[in-house]
Amino acid sequence: MTAPASVADRADGSDDRLPPARLAYPAHTWKEIGHLLLNLPVAVFGFVYVMTAVFVSGLLTLTVIGLPLLAAALLGARQLGKLERARARALLGVRVEEPTPLPLVRGGGPVQRLWLALKDPVGWRTLLYDLVRLPWGILTFCTVLISLFVLWPVLPFVARGLANVDRAMVRGLLSPSDELERRIAELESDRGVVVDTAAADLRRIERDLHDGAQARLVNLAMGLGLAKEKLLEGRADDDVAAMVDEAHGEVKLALQELRDLARGIHPAVLTDRGLDAALSSVASRCTVPVKVTADLPARPAAAIEGIAYFTVSELLQNISKHSQARTASVEVWRARDRLLVQVRDDGRGGADPDGGSGMRGLAERLGAVDGLFVVDSPPGGPTVVTAELPWRDRTE
Amino acid sequence: MLDLRYGTPSSEGRAVGGREIVEDRVRVVIAEDSVLLREGLTRLLTDRGHEVVAGVGDAEALVKTIADLDAQGALPDVVVADVRMPPTHTDEGVRAAVRLRRAHPGLGVLVLSQYVEERYATELLAGSSRGVGYLLKDRVAEVREFVDAVVRVARGGTALDPEVVAQLLGRSRKQHVLTGLTPREREVLGLMAEGRTNSAIARQLVVSDGAVEKHVSNIFLKLGLAQSDGDHRRVLAVLTYLNS
Repeated sequence: MTAPASVADRADGSDDRLPPARLAYPAHTWKEIGHLLLNLPVAVFGFVYVMTAVFVSGLLTLTVIGLPLLAAALLGARQLGKLERARARALLGVRVEEPTPLPLVRGGGPVQRLWLALKDPVGWRTLLYDLVRLPWGILTFCTVLISLFVLWPVLPFVARGLANVDRAMVRGLLSPSDELERRIAELESDRGVVVDTAAADLRRIERDLHDGAQARLVNLAMGLGLAKEKLLEGRADDDVAAMVDEAHGEVKLALQELRDLARGIHPAVLTDRGLDAALSSVASRCTVPVKVTADLPARPAAAIEGIAYFTVSELLQNISKHSQARTASVEVWRARDRLLVQVRDDGRGGADPDGGSGMRGLAERLGAVDGLFVVDSPPGGPTVVTAELPWRDRTE
Repeated sequence: MLDLRYGTPSSEGRAVGGREIVEDRVRVVIAEDSVLLREGLTRLLTDRGHEVVAGVGDAEALVKTIADLDAQGALPDVVVADVRMPPTHTDEGVRAAVRLRRAHPGLGVLVLSQYVEERYATELLAGSSRGVGYLLKDRVAEVREFVDAVVRVARGGTALDPEVVAQLLGRSRKQHVLTGLTPREREVLGLMAEGRTNSAIARQLVVSDGAVEKHVSNIFLKLGLAQSDGDHRRVLAVLTYLNS
């Protein structure tokens, strides 16, 4: 029943407009064709560059500037590679990661830097790429040009086939060297997270000090200063006694706050006795009864232990503050090469892993060491939070 | 040099109703987010015979309170403000102080901070060193000196923390000139930059007023500064010199 519709279409007068001009091939085919045609001029340029660079610096290795010139040529090849990656991205849709830049700024003396640039695998592979491109560029250019005129119907298939070879070359020769490069990128982002969480921790500690012990000590100093003034003025009455008494109380509170803060940073018992003992001590300070079960044959690395401790401590604080739970439990065990920590409570649930900065902070901290953080907290409870850390053996 | 603020006969105390009331009684507004410290400061200043008109916990409330008091024609003599207050806990106090100083030139502003930074001091002092103070919070422990500083700022003087002055002296590019000063002159220069009057410097160093005056004119001579009357202008001259 399409005929009436098309009649209706014509009836409203749309037939006197020409259909929009269309290319016979879809856009991506044109891009491929463009790429293949461009291959020739680009390849000629690259080939000339390689020949000049290699032969000139090769000849000059007899002199002192030969090697530096070769190093410069390799750095230049990296730039050519960058252009080629951009071209492949625009016309072939191939996304290849940029290789890590050479750490020339960090590298010590000029000789070291020279050596670093000379053994740069990315530069050498780009040179190789530029060499094989010349015959390949001539081939693609001729094939496509001829096909454009005589093999119009099959050109899309020819172009696709040639472009696929191009894609493989870009992936093979212009991508960051290997697994190692990718791992470096990953580690760099992890390191960023670690630095960020460390900075956040420092800010938190500073805030705690500022609002807690420091304020208390200033107040204490003020009270004692006032009492001293009064004594100097010879007014040693009950007033002064009360002030000194108050100051005494303040000192004790300040000490308590400092102790709590120090424990929050890194509890001594964790270093001395390990996770089991340290968790018992955190659990005893929770407002709800907490059962701690630690099943660990040995102690993990200090960093892992610290993160596990901090995670439990933060979760138990949340339970104290928000959960309205009656009981809670903490379990720690090792499963092959992972350390698992699970904290449960029978509170009202509804904990949101993205909600508070505390939970997000925990997830980030665990992510930074290749760990996992899973929150299961349906409204009405119970809440089960599981953290998984890589097991690393203690070194000392 | 004539000292208008220190050791004048009017500052001698007289006892009224069991509490010592000084003639130099100043009206203070306190801005401090820690309730503990706010109350401590209130008690301390009240005990020393001054009047705490209001106590607030953040910079917005401070600006509003001052505006309200000003509307009633009851502008306080001095504001004592913490640098770090809600909401961002960074430098609200300094920014509020700069705003207040611009809006009410007659109002003294004393900023207290857990750490003193020469940068904040420079911002506070921009334009004028009249009625401005910047002290380490710990200085409240020296009750007499602290209350002196509050009164000094309330009366249009300057109170800069010795640590700020040390930072200014340390980073000044005029080191070659500063090394030309005798140790005693450096000491006097520091105290002068803190905003002390000649007689206060004399008392601190246990020398005569005349001796201090002599040091001061030597310093000005060596630094190539014109002698200026009025202690706050003198502070400004010294600070500008150190900062340039």
